[in-house]
Amino acid sequence: MKKLALSLLISASLTAPAISYAKDIVIGFTTSETGKLNADSTPQLQGFELWRDQVNAAGGIKVGNDHYKVKFVKYDDQSTASRVQQLYVRLVTQDNANFLFSPYSSGLTATAAIISEQYGKVMITTGAAEGKTYELGNQYLFQMYTPANLYLASALDAVKAKDPGAKIALIYENGGFAKAVAKGAKQYAGKLGLNVVMDEAYDPSTTDFSPILNKVVTSGATVLIGGGHFADGSTLARQLHEQNMKLKMISLLVAPDVPKFVELGDAAYGVSVPSQWEPEVKFTPDFGPTAAQFTKEYKARYHVTPGYHAAGGYASGIVLEHAIEQAGSLDTDKVAAALNKMNATTFYGNIQFATDKSDHGLQIGHDMVLAQWQKDSQGKLGKQVVWPAAAGTAPLIYPISK
Amino acid sequence: MLKKPFFWIMVATVIAFVVMPIFGGIGVRESLFLAAVYMILALNLNLMIGYTGYVNFGSIVFFGLGGTLGIYAITVMGWPLWAALIGAAVVVALLALLLGLGILRLRGAYFALATIGVVEATKSFVSNFDPFGGSTGMYISFSSYKPLGGPREALWIVYFLVIAVLAASLLLGYMIKRSRFGLGLFAIREDEDAAMVLGVKAPLFKAIIYSVSSILPAMAGVLFFFKNGVIQPDQAFELTLSIEAIVMLMLGGQGTVFGAALGGFAYEQFRGYLLTSATFSNFHLVIAGALLLLIVLFAPGGLTGWLHERWSLTRRVLE
Repeated sequence: MKKLALSLLISASLTAPAISYAKDIVIGFTTSETGKLNADSTPQLQGFELWRDQVNAAGGIKVGNDHYKVKFVKYDDQSTASRVQQLYVRLVTQDNANFLFSPYSSGLTATAAIISEQYGKVMITTGAAEGKTYELGNQYLFQMYTPANLYLASALDAVKAKDPGAKIALIYENGGFAKAVAKGAKQYAGKLGLNVVMDEAYDPSTTDFSPILNKVVTSGATVLIGGGHFADGSTLARQLHEQNMKLKMISLLVAPDVPKFVELGDAAYGVSVPSQWEPEVKFTPDFGPTAAQFTKEYKARYHVTPGYHAAGGYASGIVLEHAIEQAGSLDTDKVAAALNKMNATTFYGNIQFATDKSDHGLQIGHDMVLAQWQKDSQGKLGKQVVWPAAAGTAPLIYPISK
Repeated sequence: MLKKPFFWIMVATVIAFVVMPIFGGIGVRESLFLAAVYMILALNLNLMIGYTGYVNFGSIVFFGLGGTLGIYAITVMGWPLWAALIGAAVVVALLALLLGLGILRLRGAYFALATIGVVEATKSFVSNFDPFGGSTGMYISFSSYKPLGGPREALWIVYFLVIAVLAASLLLGYMIKRSRFGLGLFAIREDEDAAMVLGVKAPLFKAIIYSVSSILPAMAGVLFFFKNGVIQPDQAFELTLSIEAIVMLMLGGQGTVFGAALGGFAYEQFRGYLLTSATFSNFHLVIAGALLLLIVLFAPGGLTGWLHERWSLTRRVLE
C-alpha cells in the first residue's frame, strides 16, 4: 500500500505542473483484494495501474483537442459473486464510470457482464477466458483473452509433434473456466488423433491429490494436462513432484504463470503453462510499448517479472485508450464501434473482436504460447517460451528428466 | 392482527422498500435488493433457529437449489419467470420435507453437521449434473429478459418481486409466531422431550417448519440468479452466505421477526458501507469481524435483545 501511495505521489508530482487536463475519464472495476482469487487478481490490477500512471504521465488520453486524465474507481469483490453486481451498478450510477474493466475470473465476469448491457457501458474483459458470456446477445463486451476452449491447443500441438503415441490424462478443477478448457482440449485432442486415457475433474478445494494421482498411475498416462487456478494448480504440481510421478510432460493452467510458482523449487521444473503472453514474445506493436519495454517498466515498479495476468491488464488499458482516441469521443457507441473495427498488434499480440451478434466481443485475433519452467546454466529456474517452436526462446524439454 | 402495532410496522417497512428506490434511484435499489434477499434468508432461518432451536448451517441450500431449478426452467424449458418461481418453490419444499423427515431425527451439533453435509452434497450433485450445466453453470440469454421489457427494465420487476417475497417472509414469521403451531415449535425449542409428552408431534412439526422455511428462500434464489444473469454451483451453494445468515440473526436477535429482519438489513448495509468506504475499504473484514465480536460478547440477544433490555415497552411492540 505504502509503495503504491508513494509511486502515485511521485507520478502525480511529476505530471502535475506540465499538463492541464480537461476532465477525467473514469474507469470502474472490482478486484479481488481478499479471497481465493487474490493471487491471480493482483498482477492484473498492477497492469491496470501501471498503464494509468504512464498514460497520465504522458499527458492523458487525447479526445478531440482535449486531454483527459484517467481515474480509477475500484472496489473489493472479495472473490465472490454476491456483491459484484451491486458494486458495478454503483460504479456506473454513483461513481459515473465512463468505461468498465471486468473483475478477474470467468465466474465473476459472467456476473458483471450483464451490467454493461443494462447500463450501456463498454466493458473490456480480461482474466476471463470462458466463452459463454459472449454468446448471450451483448453489444458492449470486448474480450482480451484467447477463449477457454483454445487454451490447451498449443500444449496438445506440442505433444502431437513430440510424441504422437502419448497417453494423456486430463485432470482439472471442477469449475467453469477449467471445465470449459478441458472440454475444448478433449475435442482438440480427438481432432489431432491423440489418446486421452483419463478425464477427471476435482473439487476446487482439493488439497490431497493422492487418490487422483494413483488413478493416473493406473491409467498408464504419460502426459498430464489440466489444473485450474493458482491454489489447486500449485498444490497439484507439488504433489506430482513429491510422489515422483514419471510423467513426460506436465502442463497446468494459470498457476505456473503466477510469479509465486517459482517458490515450489524443483517441483516447478519442467512444468509448462499455456500462456496468453510471455515477456519474451516479439510482436511489433501498432501502438503502445514493446514487450521488452513493458517488462522493464513493470519490473522496475513491482520488482517481479510480469506474467500474462499483468500483461492482460495493461493491454486492456492501451486497447481502450486506442479505441477512445480513434473514436475521438467518450460516447459508448462510438468507442464500441472503434473496438469492433480494431485489428491491431500490440505488445500482447494481435487483437481482434468477433462482431457477429451470436458471439460479439469474443477474442478472435490473439494466439497463445506455451511456456515451460527450465533451469539455466547456474541451475536457476526461469520460464521459457517453448511453443510454437518458431517463436520459442528455448526448445521444449520432453520428456521431463528430473 | 390489524390491531397489533407490529403488523403496521411490517406494512410500513414494505412500503419503505417500495418507495425508497423510486425516489433514491438505481443505486439505492441495488443496495435494497441485496438487503431484501439477506432479510428473506434471515427471516426464514429464524423459523428454524429462533423458533424451533435447531441450528441450520445449510439454509443456503434452499436458495441455491431454488435458483438452480428456476433458472433451469427459464433457460432450458422456456418457462416464464412466474411459473419458474412457483415450480422451484414447490419442488424445493417437497424435497425439504422428505429430507427433513430424515435429518431432523438428529439433534444439536449432529443436526448442524448434517445440514452442512446437505449443502456440500447438493453442490457436488449440481456440479456434476450436466443438465444443470455442471460446474460451468447456466447462463441466461439477454433475450430471456425481453418479456419483462429488456435486461434493464426487468430489474425493476425483479426488485418488486423480491419485495413481495420479503413481505411474505415477514408475514409468515409473524403468523407462525402467533399460531398454535408456533407455540408447538417454541415448546420443542425449550424442551423437545417435554413437548412430546404434552402432545406436540415434534418430528412432524420439525419437518413441516424445515420445509416451510425453504419456500421463500427458494423464490429469492430464482430472483437473485435471474437478475445475476448466470448461476454457477460455486455461487449458488456458498457456505459462507449460510453462515452469514446465522450472523445476521445473532446481530438482530433470534426468535423475533423484527430481529431477523433488522439483522439482515443492518448486516448488508454495514458490509456494503465498509466495502465502498474510502476509509475502511482496505481493512473491511477486520472491522466487520471486530464489531460482530463485540456484539456477540456484549449484546448476546442481538440488537433486539439490547432494545428490550433498555426499554421494556419495546417487548410489546417489536415481536
